[in-house]
Amino acid sequence: MSDHRVINSRLPRLDAPVKATGRAVFIDDMSFPNMLHAAMLQSPLPHARILKIDTSRAERLPGVKAVITSKDAGLVRYGVSPARYDETVFCHDRVRYVGDEIAAVAAVDKETAEEAVGLIKVDFEELPAVLTIEEAMAEGAPQLHAEYPRNLSAEVHQEFGNVAEALKTCDLTKTTTFKNKRQDGAFLEPPGCIAVFDLDGRLTLHSSTQSPHYVQRTLAMVLGLPVGKVRVVKPYVGGGFGIKAAVNTGELTACLLARKTGKPVKFIYSREQVFMLCRARHQFVHRMTTGVKKDGTLLALQHECYLDGGAYSSFGIATVYYAGSLLGGPYKLPNMKYDGWRVYTNKPTCGAQRGHGGVAARAAWEQQLDTIAEELGIDPIELRLKNMMQAGDVTCNDLNMSSLGMKECIEAVRNASGWASKKGKLPRGKGIGMACGFFVSGAGYPIYRSDTYHCTATVKLAEDGGAVQVYSASAEIGQGSDTAFGMIAAEALGVPLDCVRVISGDTDFGVDLGAYSSRQTLMTGHAVKEAAEEVKRQVLEALADELKVPAADMDIKEGRIVFKNGLVDYSGIRSRYIKEHRGWSDSPQEDALTFREASRIAYLAKGTIVGTGKYKPPALGGTFKGAAVGTSPAYGCSAQVAEVEVDLETGKIVIEKMTDAHDCGRAINRTSVEGQMEGSLAMGMGEALFEEVKFDDRGRVINCDLAEYKLVTALDMPPVETIIVESDEPNGPFGAKEVGEGAIMPTIPAILNAVYDATGLRIHELPLTSERVHAALKARGIKQ
Amino acid sequence: MILPKFEFHEPTSVAEACDLLARHRGKARPLAGGTDLLVNMKKKVMSPGHLVWLGRIPELSRLERSNGTLWVGAGVTVSDIAASEAVAKAVSALGQGARALGTPLIRNLATIGGNIGSARPAADLPLSLMVYGAELVLAGTSGERRMPIAEFFKGPGLTTAREDELITAIAVEVPRGYSGAGYLNLGIRKSQDCNIVNVASFLELDEKAERIRTARIALGSVGPTPLRSLKAEKLLVGAKPDERLFEQAAQAATHDCTPILDFRGSAEYRRAMVDVLTRRTLAMAMAEARSRT
Amino acid sequence: MKQLIRLTVNDRALEVAVDPNATLVDLLRYHLGLTGTKKGCDLGDCGACTVLMDGKAVNSCLVLAVQANGRTVQTIEGLESAEGLHPLQQAFIEKGAIQCGFCSSGMILSAKELLDRMPHAQEPDIRRAISGNLCRCTGYQKIIEAIKDVAR
Repeated sequence: MSDHRVINSRLPRLDAPVKATGRAVFIDDMSFPNMLHAAMLQSPLPHARILKIDTSRAERLPGVKAVITSKDAGLVRYGVSPARYDETVFCHDRVRYVGDEIAAVAAVDKETAEEAVGLIKVDFEELPAVLTIEEAMAEGAPQLHAEYPRNLSAEVHQEFGNVAEALKTCDLTKTTTFKNKRQDGAFLEPPGCIAVFDLDGRLTLHSSTQSPHYVQRTLAMVLGLPVGKVRVVKPYVGGGFGIKAAVNTGELTACLLARKTGKPVKFIYSREQVFMLCRARHQFVHRMTTGVKKDGTLLALQHECYLDGGAYSSFGIATVYYAGSLLGGPYKLPNMKYDGWRVYTNKPTCGAQRGHGGVAARAAWEQQLDTIAEELGIDPIELRLKNMMQAGDVTCNDLNMSSLGMKECIEAVRNASGWASKKGKLPRGKGIGMACGFFVSGAGYPIYRSDTYHCTATVKLAEDGGAVQVYSASAEIGQGSDTAFGMIAAEALGVPLDCVRVISGDTDFGVDLGAYSSRQTLMTGHAVKEAAEEVKRQVLEALADELKVPAADMDIKEGRIVFKNGLVDYSGIRSRYIKEHRGWSDSPQEDALTFREASRIAYLAKGTIVGTGKYKPPALGGTFKGAAVGTSPAYGCSAQVAEVEVDLETGKIVIEKMTDAHDCGRAINRTSVEGQMEGSLAMGMGEALFEEVKFDDRGRVINCDLAEYKLVTALDMPPVETIIVESDEPNGPFGAKEVGEGAIMPTIPAILNAVYDATGLRIHELPLTSERVHAALKARGIKQ
Repeated sequence: MILPKFEFHEPTSVAEACDLLARHRGKARPLAGGTDLLVNMKKKVMSPGHLVWLGRIPELSRLERSNGTLWVGAGVTVSDIAASEAVAKAVSALGQGARALGTPLIRNLATIGGNIGSARPAADLPLSLMVYGAELVLAGTSGERRMPIAEFFKGPGLTTAREDELITAIAVEVPRGYSGAGYLNLGIRKSQDCNIVNVASFLELDEKAERIRTARIALGSVGPTPLRSLKAEKLLVGAKPDERLFEQAAQAATHDCTPILDFRGSAEYRRAMVDVLTRRTLAMAMAEARSRT
Repeated sequence: MKQLIRLTVNDRALEVAVDPNATLVDLLRYHLGLTGTKKGCDLGDCGACTVLMDGKAVNSCLVLAVQANGRTVQTIEGLESAEGLHPLQQAFIEKGAIQCGFCSSGMILSAKELLDRMPHAQEPDIRRAISGNLCRCTGYQKIIEAIKDVAR
């Protein structure tokens, strides 16, 4: 065990009691006096010219306080990546998908607002729509954005080494095409917000967001407000998984309506609207050719990828880069060529979702590696062990694996699953499969070009002593970041966790890029640690002055002052403290000087004790175009084994057990790490087996509810054996790195490989519904 | 999501309920568990001006066995059917259907009358009732009538009930010994699913347990209403039950359905699954029949 | 036209006027201030709005407020007693069964219905009992462990 006192333990989460009792306040639980409710008019057509918008009947409806269109909102273009600002708040000349926002209403209640929306009359001239990658890329296809010809939202062309030459020297090459399906984030809490303007024209937006910082900047830019007049505050958030990392139209709309009416305005997405907002995982079509030597040594990967992006870009520029760059590891691969195209289609916009850009690519490749292993007569685990990278290795695309417990992860799942006694030895219909993966611990660069710190943190001691307040603009969205930061602060300061209060998710507390790219534990963790250490230094300095003991001879541990060189007389401090608290019943009795007394002395000597911390990764990665995407101060990695049973008559797959190992560096909270691993696995399993957003031929989502968009239920979910592997990451706070996204990487391919083991079928399209598996079984003439 | 406006009625007797339905003819819907109707109203698929809630009519909630007949009031919840020992003992396949329906939360609200009355082709309860030869008791302003459940269904959401009529009870003659049934459903996941295919089978053997005396097979989600497979039944009656026979019957059942393609599954797959589920439910029915000799 | 109903919510007898088209979840959340009951889909698909009505776990978004007339409703806010948190709440906290927390209220109430009926429920019963409560964060593993812990 480590000698840490707080981190690396299983302390209950700080927010668990309020959530277990229904006290935690989420956005729809909030309200303000005189608050209005907003509703949005969204396009019923996938592609059309707007000829005329008549809002007069809506405006006349009693209870309606404002109706806004692009005339009010203006045409400031925004998006996620400044390289592709292709959205406006409302459409003014054209709608590009079913759900594109045209107008909004604020009224005294939601019912009235929705009724008013129904009274807005829009004359459209319908345009031909493109609903698939093929249609969008066809010669003469209707164009979504004049500025981005050929419906290309982005394209990437990269080569590391020389793939063509390397392939010539390979003993075996394998080419496969693979596709996943568009996903929905399907967080349980639909996004929503409340915008409030004060009398000085300052805006506060309370929003269910993963990134208060990016929302703040976008609001300021679009509304034409100084950033200093915009504050974004995040209440408890019911999951995000990437989708809530981008500003949404609802947020902008509520602010515009609040400004126009002078009243607080609330907007909550309906579940159907969540499907139209989308911003979730793209549909990817991957074509990969991998070349190896006879002994299994990987030599080259030639990779093409097409992404169905939907109507706008959102995070998609990063997505198309990640889809290539995240195959650079965790295996030694000297030659890699990647060509990626993200294509606009007349559908809701895709963006970032857990495992950003890398999930389908990983699924495609890890299945292909299994095929190669089989043809070479090598156990799939041996093939991976042979090729895997080690700590200190750098990928061909310049990603530095500063720590990498890949071997430990593989061996852990191999042993725990009983691989050796099962692989190739199970009866027909039963199978076992494995796969690996890795992921960034935070993007190396912010989404907008800037030298900004990625996060700042402030630790302040309560003036009365003994209580530690951690302030940060980071986003607790359910993953447990507040608890992690509380634990980091407690550890760094030498106090128990119950002395610490974490106050986060507010742009007033500093800069934090937010909860995406698995960045907060490492990055915000660094800033919090630095701030806490700064506070500790100040307390010990004040004590040093008071006790005439060098600060270096003292430490704080478990809330007590430790004197390294024997006893020190601190009775003066104690009696002073007790005098100050006459009549109080909790005077310090301990046989040691307490942190409470010490921090009080520090305040009395210096005033409020505040420490600040900040973090920005060093310059990372190569110099080629797109080198920034995929860089990170550290990489987590994982391996999983899936055991499945396939009903050979119906094609139905049952996952019987999963064994999961993840290297998260040093675990800050072991229970939370397992929670991220298990949750990632469940999401990956859903994508593997069930989940797919489906459209009709008019571009409408058919299954826009949680009955027909199928998450795994408690009955589908198998028991998971979760194994934490801990490397000591040199670039992480206390050695910590990511777990929230990397843990999803091996799930889909492990299942695919297990299905192959059970059936002899390689299926190259998700999800593995019983019908798809049945069709494959039939095509191969397999019966029972 | 806001429900459309309506007038709410809570009759305390069947007669009162029928009167209300008659008075607001064409504009009223009976409301049972609400798990189907309220969802459709929220989605603005329906907006009846009057809801006649049946939850305050005590006579609808009886579940009892008398004189060889199991009476299930239309208002009995699906979870009560799923948990009922009387159901498990007398008509096990009905219990299997009840346990397969929706989620525990839905089952606590949904009623057997609602599951039949909403006339969804994929519904979980009607198939077993069909193969048990159940009859519906319908009450209207002009009195009560009984009809075999199969005659109730006209199409998706459409029934032969008159606008002032309600299902008040389901009467199932408790099968004799030497008989058994089985119900299976196939969806995407294990809970909360709309079926792709569901099948119920019933077999009654002669006293020597040698030949099949009666066979009934009902297929769900593969036509506008739940369907009987007469071709399969004909093959089975009088024959000696064995695996081969069940395979032939299952094959025959695939010719008795008219599946359509929708986003949940193709016609071809549904037809293939009729084969598999028919065979499997016949085996279940046979196993139960053998255990009840 | 509003209708007067009487119901007992968390041991408190109440009389409220409600619109016929108001759902129980909206009555609880927006009129009675019991926002611990969450609304994730409003269509009976997610289970976040689960409450106990006469002891049975139901989707409160599929119950009209007027249907709750004369009934007893228990929400997450009604689980604590003078002795403190309900054992399920305690177990959810200690076992890491809570991440975003949006499903937790419903999850705990579905588990309560089960354990009230079957105090020593086994894992298959537990999985079945919460199969109408979706969770996107936890993969259910720690939720099941927490419920098992109380059922022991």
